[in-house]
Amino acid sequence: MSAMSGMDHAFDFDAALVACARGERSGLQALYAREAGRMLGVARRIVRRQALAEEAVHDSFVLIWRQAASFDPGRGSGRTWIYAVLRHRALNILRGETRTDLTDDFEPLGLEAPEESPEAAMLRLSESGRLRACLEGLEASRRAAILLAYVNGLTHGELAGRFGVPLGTMKSWIRRTLLSLRECLA
Amino acid sequence: MSDRPHMPDEMDLRAAEYVLGLLDGPDEAQATEQLRTDATFAKAVEHWRQRFSELDFTAAEGAGDPALLARILATLDGEAPETQAAGAQTTRLHVGPDTLKSSAPPPRAAPRARAESPISRLWQSLGFWRSTGFAGAAATLLLALGIAFGPFAAPPQPKLVAVLMGPQGEPAAVVNAYGDGTADLIPLRPISVPDGRVLEVWTLWDPARGPVSIGLAGEARRIKLDLKNLPRTGPDQLFEITLEPKGGSPIGRPTGPILMKGTTSVAL
Repeated sequence: MSAMSGMDHAFDFDAALVACARGERSGLQALYAREAGRMLGVARRIVRRQALAEEAVHDSFVLIWRQAASFDPGRGSGRTWIYAVLRHRALNILRGETRTDLTDDFEPLGLEAPEESPEAAMLRLSESGRLRACLEGLEASRRAAILLAYVNGLTHGELAGRFGVPLGTMKSWIRRTLLSLRECLA
Repeated sequence: MSDRPHMPDEMDLRAAEYVLGLLDGPDEAQATEQLRTDATFAKAVEHWRQRFSELDFTAAEGAGDPALLARILATLDGEAPETQAAGAQTTRLHVGPDTLKSSAPPPRAAPRARAESPISRLWQSLGFWRSTGFAGAAATLLLALGIAFGPFAAPPQPKLVAVLMGPQGEPAAVVNAYGDGTADLIPLRPISVPDGRVLEVWTLWDPARGPVSIGLAGEARRIKLDLKNLPRTGPDQLFEITLEPKGGSPIGRPTGPILMKGTTSVAL
């Protein structure tokens, strides 16, 4: 465990971003080598299709390069920032583009990433971690709603549709769940 | 500094919703702006990001594709002069990637046209409709047939009818929405459903909310649609059928190919 987290910290995300901000390609390449595979995985959970996930990762690296100068290590972690860029981009692609895309192509079956159950991501969390313990402490459907939102990018409305509850109910479910998560994680 | 009297909880929960990606449209834009201007909110966002980021790190690792890196570098090469210009105007004002919203999308990365709202894009996807004009007359005829198909021929009369068209622009099913809030779907031709798959019916009542599942069928047959959690069906409401894994889409929105779609019209 400690060996694992030791490895995690071996890579200096902030330094790589600072290099990007200075216009050094090596910083970007190091980030790519270190994180691109996992970023693709995160994007695929949201946009589901390999080509769109690659587009999200492509765009994110371009944005990371361009915006690296605006990253302020005093205000947050470099790794979190990179994933925030990626998630934002993937959600935009999902919400702005995918639907039409599906409509246009009548794409044959099998090109989409096999869907991961909402629980699967949670089960990969470290068993000793707080997040996992706190998620496991939630009622199953509340937990699923939170995971579907974060991991798969569902909106309030999509969650309401999926769980068969009115939109307002879903919104307050989520809020109450967030409050108990916050308390548990504190 | 924000001078609006926020309850701390209210602001923190909004930060959490933002991080979960739940905010959409104007709410999202507002939160993005607040992130830029309100340090307290920015702190709350960062905190929630850190709480959830562990989930990102559970995504399958794997070597990044060298071809994708080459594409990224080619994009950067292509915009080299522009980068400097952008660099000059990028100050350390912003904490988040959320500033990205306001910056132009990366140039190379636009293989598809981008437009404002999913619904307008849906309508602009003329690939689908290109061939449908021809079928218009046939559709009208079938629409009439669809109405007559009801098991108890006379009542109830549908208030709204949608003819769903297949990829070749052929009428493929009819949706009837009745005055009492119920609706049903009547297929007009057989549909081959592969093993382990089902037909899932969706309606887009509110583009902000996204498509909502309203029915499942293992084969093309008449089914009652489940609209009880939705407001009354209105004109120009989109219905569509997609092919999904058994049990329906695991994530509550369409994942498979669209087999047919159409919008409601008022039945005379």
